[in-house]
Amino acid sequence: MSRIRQLDVAVSELVGDGDVVALEGFTHLIPVAAGHEIIRQGRRDLTLCRMTPDVIYDQMIGAGCARKLVFSWGGNPGVGSLHRFRDAIQHSWPVPLEIEEHSHAGMANRYTAGASGLPFAVLRGYAGTDLPEHTESIKTIECPFTGEKLAAVSAINPDVGIIHAQQADREGNVQMWGITGVQKETVLASKRSLVTVEEIVDELEPRPGSVVLPKWAVTAVAEVPGGAHPSYAQGYYERDNDYYQRWDPIGRDRERFQQWLDTEVLNVERSAR
Amino acid sequence: MDATRAEVCAAALADFFEGDGEIMASPMGLLPTLGARLAKLTHSPGLLLTDGEAMALDGVPPLGESSGVVEGWIPFRAVLDVVVPHGKRHVIMGATQLDRHGNQNISCIGDFARPERQLLGVRGAPGNTVNNKTSYWVPKHSARVFVEQVDMVSGVGRKRAGQAGAAATRFHNVHRVASNLGVFDFHGPDHALRLVSVHPGVTVDEVRKASGCDLHVEGDVPETRTPSAEELALIREVLDPTSLRDREVPAA
Repeated sequence: MSRIRQLDVAVSELVGDGDVVALEGFTHLIPVAAGHEIIRQGRRDLTLCRMTPDVIYDQMIGAGCARKLVFSWGGNPGVGSLHRFRDAIQHSWPVPLEIEEHSHAGMANRYTAGASGLPFAVLRGYAGTDLPEHTESIKTIECPFTGEKLAAVSAINPDVGIIHAQQADREGNVQMWGITGVQKETVLASKRSLVTVEEIVDELEPRPGSVVLPKWAVTAVAEVPGGAHPSYAQGYYERDNDYYQRWDPIGRDRERFQQWLDTEVLNVERSAR
Repeated sequence: MDATRAEVCAAALADFFEGDGEIMASPMGLLPTLGARLAKLTHSPGLLLTDGEAMALDGVPPLGESSGVVEGWIPFRAVLDVVVPHGKRHVIMGATQLDRHGNQNISCIGDFARPERQLLGVRGAPGNTVNNKTSYWVPKHSARVFVEQVDMVSGVGRKRAGQAGAAATRFHNVHRVASNLGVFDFHGPDHALRLVSVHPGVTVDEVRKASGCDLHVEGDVPETRTPSAEELALIREVLDPTSLRDREVPAA
């Protein structure tokens, strides 16, 4: 039963300290504003899941929100490394960060299993790699039909799944289009979900290839125009490539990062409805 | 005009795709992309090129530009569904470390839990190396990249794939490695790294000195072929008129 909420209200209702939280979005439609709201509310000890953590997770990790990261790629796309992410893993700053590493396909399959209500997913990847040795959520199983040895990965069922979409209607049905990642699976796998949208409209127009999430699959919707910036929202705005470039020197330096956090996140009130 | 080192590398990478037929080419990085596009315009017209995001391209655009013609819509999730698990793809990946047995590392340097250097993560490597053909591109050959044993196996080499069993060997095919110094495969004894050719102007000794692992060498190692006049024209006039290739592989 989805309800239209203000972003700050929705985050405080849905996200608690110690929760497993997935903010998904693949290059496109990354829920950045929701991540900043989590930082502002001072959430701690989160287990953050995401296939491709980029700048927003770097910011949340640097702000000390996370104790663990579940991922398959962590970087600043087109620029290089994430320095807050590296500082946390290598030097425990500002707090130690445990990692659970998977392949892309492993992560996607884990969400799909979670969304399907199944305890695990099966795949061929991982065979021969060192990952099973380091990662509790990968085990080897034998196919009961062929005897083939395969990798089983446990389902991901986040406490909260957060995504950004282009539109919702006034009842809280959601539609997104363009490049989509595992947002649908993330919402369906999560105990609670929040969708930030560019716009709330009277009626969702059917679009080819779109992903529709009915209101009964979504816990809360918040209207946050520009909520995916600096990533993009097809049909609304382009990717802000300069932002990703500018992030590199800020992320490299603990002091510059702290200044950025104070001025750009902590002391900013979002005027979200 | 003689071919530059970058142009030799581009042709060598193009040759990796020869005989692949109608499969998806997934070249990661600039020189592999140049190589795949050169292959499509010469010996491998059946290759399916993408824009690296969600479009399958019909034309063959210059580096940094998109094609005027979109052949199809194949976002990441569809690639995972329909291409990756069926062996219909040839990926050229990078490697922070690559060992003598073809295991690749892009996860971390040092201990996994508390690494000296946390890298970007294993990404598609565990699936790529067991589900489709994989090659590697190393723009700066060094003893830090070519190591005896990688710190964390992300992409699987032939020997470990064999030990892991049928799930890993069905489509496993670590084809070749190109670096700025030469071309390699894993047809040495016990599937070990073998020097296939050295680029013009490079000696076998130089390659050995720049490698941190044992390198299998058989007899007289040939030179990597130089691109034909037609290939040079395609590289210089069509695919990379602004010479982006020279930034990745400076003239020797």
